[in-house]
Amino acid sequence: MVNASVESHSSAMSPSIWLEKGFGLAFPFIVALVVAAVILLVIGENPIDIFSLMAKESFGSERRIAATLSAATPLLFTAVATAVCFRTGVFNVGVEGAFVVGGIAAAFIGFSLPAGMGFTIIPVAFAFAALVGAIWLYIPGVLLAKLQVDEVVSTLMLNFVAFGVTGYLVNGPLLSEVSGNNVTPPVHEAAELTRLMPPSTLHAGFIVGILVVIAYAVWTRRTPTGFSAAMVGYSQRFSRAVGISVPASIILVMVLSGVVAGFGGASHALGQLHRFTDGFSPGYGFTGMAVALLGRNSAIGIVLGAILFGALASAGTTIQLFSNIPLDLVNIIQGTVMIFAVVEIGRLRLLTRRAAP
Amino acid sequence: MAEAATARADATVRLGARNISKFYGPVRANRDISLSVAPGEIHAIVGENGAGKSTLMRILQGMEHPDSGAIIVDDQEVRFSQPQQALETGIGMVHQEFMLAPDLTLLENLVLGDEPVSFAAGPLSRIDWAQALQSGEELAKKTGVAVDWRRRAGGTPVHIQQTVEIIRLLRRGTRILILDEPTAVLAPQQVEDLFVLLRNLRDAGTTILFISHKLKEVVALADRVTVIRRGEVSYSANVSETDSDTIARYIVGGNDTSLIETGRASRGKAGDGEVVLNVAGLEAPSLEKSHPLHGVSLSVRKGEIVGLAAVSGNGQDELVECLVGLRSASSGRVDLLGGDVTHATNGERRRKGIAYISADRRHEGLATLAPVEDNVVAGSHDRPPIGKGMFLSLKQKRRVATERLASVDVRYGHLSDPVSSLSGGNQQRLVFAREIASDPKVMVVSQPTRGVDLNGIAAIHKLLLQFRDDGGSVLLVSEELEELLYLCDRIVVMAAGRIVGETPVEGTDIAEIGRMMVMQGHADG
Repeated sequence: MVNASVESHSSAMSPSIWLEKGFGLAFPFIVALVVAAVILLVIGENPIDIFSLMAKESFGSERRIAATLSAATPLLFTAVATAVCFRTGVFNVGVEGAFVVGGIAAAFIGFSLPAGMGFTIIPVAFAFAALVGAIWLYIPGVLLAKLQVDEVVSTLMLNFVAFGVTGYLVNGPLLSEVSGNNVTPPVHEAAELTRLMPPSTLHAGFIVGILVVIAYAVWTRRTPTGFSAAMVGYSQRFSRAVGISVPASIILVMVLSGVVAGFGGASHALGQLHRFTDGFSPGYGFTGMAVALLGRNSAIGIVLGAILFGALASAGTTIQLFSNIPLDLVNIIQGTVMIFAVVEIGRLRLLTRRAAP
Repeated sequence: MAEAATARADATVRLGARNISKFYGPVRANRDISLSVAPGEIHAIVGENGAGKSTLMRILQGMEHPDSGAIIVDDQEVRFSQPQQALETGIGMVHQEFMLAPDLTLLENLVLGDEPVSFAAGPLSRIDWAQALQSGEELAKKTGVAVDWRRRAGGTPVHIQQTVEIIRLLRRGTRILILDEPTAVLAPQQVEDLFVLLRNLRDAGTTILFISHKLKEVVALADRVTVIRRGEVSYSANVSETDSDTIARYIVGGNDTSLIETGRASRGKAGDGEVVLNVAGLEAPSLEKSHPLHGVSLSVRKGEIVGLAAVSGNGQDELVECLVGLRSASSGRVDLLGGDVTHATNGERRRKGIAYISADRRHEGLATLAPVEDNVVAGSHDRPPIGKGMFLSLKQKRRVATERLASVDVRYGHLSDPVSSLSGGNQQRLVFAREIASDPKVMVVSQPTRGVDLNGIAAIHKLLLQFRDDGGSVLLVSEELEELLYLCDRIVVMAAGRIVGETPVEGTDIAEIGRMMVMQGHADG
């Protein structure tokens, strides 16, 4: 398991610590921009022009900001779902799968309940998605807590199960009769989440995501279970010796992760796509992991990280329309950021080992 | 081998160390160790776990480099930059964990890394198994054992594996054989067989260095013994000119008599108070390199400090874990304050009134990277005043932490600093602050002053005595016999996973306890 449980204990730290933390957070981005700049120079483009174009495309106008926030919305959920586990030292990489099964669960409720229920379908769909997500990650949680089954392997494999099962469902029992291949019927209009800034796709799921981040912040700092989970992340032996139940913490964070990932799937299904399709998530679970690593599992870090990755995504889709720059450049930046975010985790592990030889 | 040994028969020191020191950071593993092993001698190195024996052996073998000092082979100073050179010089070591490849046959293991080949080099070169078998058989005959060379190593009994390791080293020209606690894995009869084998080897000219902490074996086998205590040679003598009591005393450090007469705190007034912690017939599997528990029974009364003396790795850690609920006993019973807690979790036992000071402060007593504040409230964060229903009060958490830290005078920078920024003594005080704050009836305390400076030790002793005077009960595990005699009302001695003796502190001296600790450390081989 990875010990990624470093959070801001903000109460009263000296400015230099803040500076160091700030630089630590920004470091992966700085490196990523340098790498991208080098590539741009090599292919004969002016990096400054391209970067300012990217900034304009992600934050340049109300519409572009809306697009950025819209792209950030699923990441808020998947990053929190990841951070809940990482800060407990549980390396859950199964958020992607839970997001997908949550999505199909919400879509199923959204088109199968009677349309006459109106908007009450929405909470039912969210609740069902959360339940399915929770059960989904409860399984590897119990396997880890009780039988020490490696969670990286079990959750990674469950992702493929999720892709397979949902792929079967949208091509079989839940296949739309009118829309062609690989999609469910659309959800009832009443079940769609409100668009906040039409014509952009930014929807009420963004607000739910922010609420989830706030709830996460409260949980980490101001609940006994959040405290216990943090201690488990610092040291399982210590936790056991002071009477904290390690298995209970592990199972709890996996279930919470499933709930949040399920919410994310529901938000995406009801707010963005209005149905479930094969290829529902282009890796939101994994990008969320990068966001959580980058944001050091802190609530503010997650919001900033999600918006930054959202910006990259929204700039990427339009940037190749206006320049000779391929979309791959954005992928390179994303990849570099992720690598260095992971390097940061490696550094933390090294510190842990030095502190405890 | 014998030829090699006779070729240098004129050497007076076959293997030696001259003023070897080795530090790991601030930790002194070896200090100024000098040692000389005469040709054809069986030399025993004894000492507690962690005394520095293994470090010395790794240095002699070329796996570690001394910070200062030199290795002597055949009266000559040598330097090994890697283990291979030591092997070429004729020094071979049999480790506690055997180094045989389990999926290869014993014969394949025998020649692995030094295969006899036909057609010398070149593409047609192949391993000459007939010659390999012949050399194996010859050496086996010499050592007096029968080996079925076609067996897979993994499916072979450990004592045969051990023999094959020895033969393998002999085949590579080893004339100085180092054995690291070779009897730990053997049954009594196999120990006898091993001793016969080692005596045969010695008589054929092999020099043997034998690490142990079982005195009976040392006396039975060795010609000479060297005791290492806390990284230094505390004693060295011919076995024929000393006795086990003397050796035992040097192992546990009982020759510092200065503390014994004066170093006694006031005694508790337990008398025949109620038994608060009772252990009956406890059996439990062991940790790595240690002893399982065999029918351990003991009791602690209200208002007394009971000491548990044992050489490390003799079952005391297992017992402590069983008492606090971190290890489940396979049979037997633990009663806490009159209730059966044999199957209770650590949390349940804590709620009944037990507290635990772990010997492993850095990994179990504390979460070293977590803030000071969190370390001192962990465990009571989920009940009032800190935990209130679903929520946790940050204000109360800070208040409780500040109070607790002040109560035992912990020096810290800020509540949010990681606990690793504190000194060892302050870290241990912090642990006491947390554990005492839960108002326990019984404290299970293991090695409380390890790595703590003198002031810290005094403070911790005061805390324990105060706790006892307030009617608390303590089971105190310590390797520091002076500490046990200073604090305890009576002392229970444990060896090889059994209780081997109990003595009131009055009228007992360190030598007596030391003798019990070491002499019986091999009751079951």
